[in-house]
Amino acid sequence: MTNMALRELASLEKYLGLKKPNKYSTQGDKKVPVLQNNNGPPLVGLVTIACHLVKEAQRPELLGDSAESRAVVQQWLEYSVTKLNSCTKEDSKTVLKDLNVYLQDKVYLAGNQITLADILMYYGIHPLILDLTIQEKEQYVNVTRWFDHIQHYPSIRHHLPVIVVLRNRIYTSRHH
Amino acid sequence: MALNLTINTSNPPLGALLAAEHVKSSVQVSVEEGKDTQLLVSDSVQFSDSNSICRYLARVAPAVGLYGANMMEQTEVDHWLEFSARRLCGQPGLNITLGELNKALSLRTFLVGHALTLADLSVWAALKGHNEWPIQGESFSHVNRWFSFLSSQVPFTSVGKKYTTKKA
Repeated sequence: MTNMALRELASLEKYLGLKKPNKYSTQGDKKVPVLQNNNGPPLVGLVTIACHLVKEAQRPELLGDSAESRAVVQQWLEYSVTKLNSCTKEDSKTVLKDLNVYLQDKVYLAGNQITLADILMYYGIHPLILDLTIQEKEQYVNVTRWFDHIQHYPSIRHHLPVIVVLRNRIYTSRHH
Repeated sequence: MALNLTINTSNPPLGALLAAEHVKSSVQVSVEEGKDTQLLVSDSVQFSDSNSICRYLARVAPAVGLYGANMMEQTEVDHWLEFSARRLCGQPGLNITLGELNKALSLRTFLVGHALTLADLSVWAALKGHNEWPIQGESFSHVNRWFSFLSSQVPFTSVGKKYTTKKA
């Protein structure tokens, strides 16, 4: 089995325009990614390494541009690790339902600008969306819209297949 | 080639002003305040209708992508330009129109394709200038999200601030 976290980090490096790909190892049964840092101790964990890459690429706005949005970004980064990884079929319905309510009035997770939270949540939720029927995609209409926007955002998708999203509703009478 | 846009300050053409802001990196457009809205292309060619001005600006700056990425998107953009001119500008009773717009926006971040086009500029401008909009907006969550998302982006913030405070 290929390690998803390593593929996500490789895609993130490309999105950030980092020229020289890093070499990662993994740790423990859960294959937690590890980055051997030249000038310090090794960095452990997807989110920790991802935040480090963003700083290396000098894109601090991807971690939020105000105190409030920085906190929101961290909250969704933690959510992606704790709730999306090892998500059962039952959990996934709760995740989609909650996220659908949250995204009702938002284009991006932390408001009106794209952040690292959108990128990692997109990678993390991809397998869940892949399993949805057309009708379910419409049921979670706000998640679907956000997902489709991120998957077409320039150079984020890389290692993942495009998921087909209808752009007009067909089950229009259905309440969401 | 320098273009000159004169705007009627008592009824500023927000869509045309936004289009001018978006294309200014590739085309030289100067904006002047005056009595009638008009885009001066040359001595013999002028456009006075906001949609015509938008279309012209989008076409002389194809790299900006305001007219969509293909023929299908171009047709969709035309649809929304007509929609904003006929169904939004100065029309009372926005309920049905907003309902349609709301449905169209439920699965879309932008009206056409995956990026900003004239469709967004023109519909946003028509709503911004409509006095029923802020009150009606509450009940149309998708239109609301789309509208406030655009309102938070440059140059919507600057154009919105500069040209709508003058209106009573």
